[in-house]
Amino acid sequence: MLVVLAGLLAAGALGGCSKSGEPAQAGGSGQPGGSQKPKEKVEIQFWNPLTGEAAAILDGIAQSFNTSQDAISVKTLSSQDPQKQLTAISGGNAPDLVMTYWNNIGPWSEAGAVLNLEEKIKTSGFQTETIIPAALDRMKVDGKLHGFPISMSMSNKLFYNKKMFQEAGIAKPPETLEELLDAAKKLTKKDDKGNITQIGFIPDYPWIDNVFWPIIFGGSWEDGKGKLTANQKANVDSIAYQASFYKEFGNEAIAKFKSGMGKANTPQDPILSGKLGMMIGWENKYNDQRGENGELGVAPFPYPQDRPELKNSGMVSPVAMFIPAKAKHADEAWTFMQYLLSEDVQIRYATEVKTIPVLLKALDNPKLTKNESLKSMWEFYESAKSKNLNGFPNSIYINEYLQALSEETEKALKGQQTAQQAMDAVVAKIQPKADKAAKK
Amino acid sequence: MNAGNQIGIRRRERKRLLVGLLFISPWLAGLLLFQLYPILSSFYYSLTEYSLFTPPEWVGAANYKELFDDPKVWLSLYNTLFMTIFGLFPHLAFALAIALLLNRNVKGQSIYRTIYFLPTLVPIVAATLLWMWLLNAQYGLINELAGRIGLPQPNWLLDPKWTKPALVLMGFWGTGTATIMYLAALQEVPRMYYEAAEIDGANAWQKFRQITLPAISPMTLFQVIMGIIGTLQLFTQGYVFAEGNGQAIGGPENSLLFYGVYLYQTAFSFLRMGYASAMAWLLFAVVFALTILVFKTSAKWVYYGGDR
Repeated sequence: MLVVLAGLLAAGALGGCSKSGEPAQAGGSGQPGGSQKPKEKVEIQFWNPLTGEAAAILDGIAQSFNTSQDAISVKTLSSQDPQKQLTAISGGNAPDLVMTYWNNIGPWSEAGAVLNLEEKIKTSGFQTETIIPAALDRMKVDGKLHGFPISMSMSNKLFYNKKMFQEAGIAKPPETLEELLDAAKKLTKKDDKGNITQIGFIPDYPWIDNVFWPIIFGGSWEDGKGKLTANQKANVDSIAYQASFYKEFGNEAIAKFKSGMGKANTPQDPILSGKLGMMIGWENKYNDQRGENGELGVAPFPYPQDRPELKNSGMVSPVAMFIPAKAKHADEAWTFMQYLLSEDVQIRYATEVKTIPVLLKALDNPKLTKNESLKSMWEFYESAKSKNLNGFPNSIYINEYLQALSEETEKALKGQQTAQQAMDAVVAKIQPKADKAAKK
Repeated sequence: MNAGNQIGIRRRERKRLLVGLLFISPWLAGLLLFQLYPILSSFYYSLTEYSLFTPPEWVGAANYKELFDDPKVWLSLYNTLFMTIFGLFPHLAFALAIALLLNRNVKGQSIYRTIYFLPTLVPIVAATLLWMWLLNAQYGLINELAGRIGLPQPNWLLDPKWTKPALVLMGFWGTGTATIMYLAALQEVPRMYYEAAEIDGANAWQKFRQITLPAISPMTLFQVIMGIIGTLQLFTQGYVFAEGNGQAIGGPENSLLFYGVYLYQTAFSFLRMGYASAMAWLLFAVVFALTILVFKTSAKWVYYGGDR
């Protein structure tokens, strides 16, 4: 046991100097020199919800880690969805490291299932400022880090159908939200019965996004002191803006068109089939169809005309890793977590999975920015450095908060209530839950 | 009879009882461990605040009080009872109609019976996804047909007024089990009643009304009760309908937020196990009350062929 501890200390020290450009070689791989007896290998369980190819990539990384040192052996288990994770952790049979969706960190942390990492970060000297802040902030619960992102997804672009733009005579993608609405009008066609046959933009396609839109308007959901801010002007404006599309094209008409326009990632995909002109762009969508030679153009998502400082805003949703509070080998898990956050591993994972690394310096690494096979990702790597990235705050009531936002936004989009009424209703409903959580 | 003999019987009976209990002990253990214990502990949890990870905190009747102030509980109960009332009874009537047809002596009878039962074998999720295509407002076959005969063409999947009727419509497809059970009941009706009625000059409707319906009423009672319990637990169809449309869990304007769906969300998304347990007990009370109600009224409309 002492030997393992010594190894860990060494790893921690190495992790601390990882700024020098060397990946944090974790696990105490350093030859302990001299006549040490063979170490007892600690096996840690790493659960992830991945399947198929992505799971195999993660297995490969764990394999590399296992061969790189002889103190820790990581065993990965894929296809462990949040439901299974929840059952295992609450049943007292927690794995040592878990990969999960970021919005589980809040409720699970508040419930005491997730290890607070502040202590480990301090003793190992891990530099948290090397991580993209918008991704890292999602891992904070009550201001304390309870996990780390391994990669992140980002929506901050506008995807558009190039051919439709050409046909409508639109020379360049809209830069402001006002231009977006104009372009949408030009791209929308109706038949003589008033049925929409093609549409420029649907603000709640592919779903009601109650995080993305307020970010575009510079909004927030909590003031950091426990007061919910969903009903402030920026948030309300973002709902009203979305509603303006419904006002323009008609509730019934949009609903009817939507039901028949086809679903994303099917042969009837509306933005590929020319039924939908523009949509919010994610880094993980249409990788093969976007860019110079593809059917889809990519542009920064428009900003409000009167607030140019909000240019390059975007929503970040990281994939989270955490150590369960009841993990048997928390130290070893932390060592492996640092390995996953080292530059080489971050680049390898991002390259193989085609995702965005969370390590800031990886964004400028030529292995990513000069890798032709990642060309469609380049503009996402570049914009991942934007200061205007944000996400939803994590808390124990996060899922109730998000649900309430969806419900009220839906009514506002359909014109059953004003945007202000909708957001006031959300705050009235969720503020008591926030107060209750604060008291604990 | 003398006292000694009686004691002997009692001893023998007790032994028989013990042996019997021993034989059913695997089932008994299962019942106690996997049914009774969870049921009772869920009642305890319903009186606590419990997030799964930390020990439950006693809150008394607070969860039950909150149930009555939670508009979503009422909305989900309404959605669910809508399906019970407007779904179950039409479905049963349809199943009976099909069973009557299948009971006729025609060529290829068994082939028809198989065909009508087949859809029941399709997994609910697959059937639901299939029906979402049929119900598609623009290209769906159903609206295509409705348009040809001049009926309105509602937006089945996205208009909150039509999502539940869409599910009811879809439900007709899955009535195979009810049909088969009705068919079995129909074949139990003694021929002699019909013969007697024919001699008396009864027409087809009179025979159906006076003989068939009363004779199969125990089966109807059974199906109504099982149907009520089943529809009150409705989950999959509503969940898939909403998911498949990329909507929040309750579908358009929560029109598909069934009680089971809301319960699931409360427990596993909001992590409020205590409140969810209270919801489960409310559901139990509702099912219990409705079942009692049906039983009470059944004296008036259910006829047993036996001694009663």
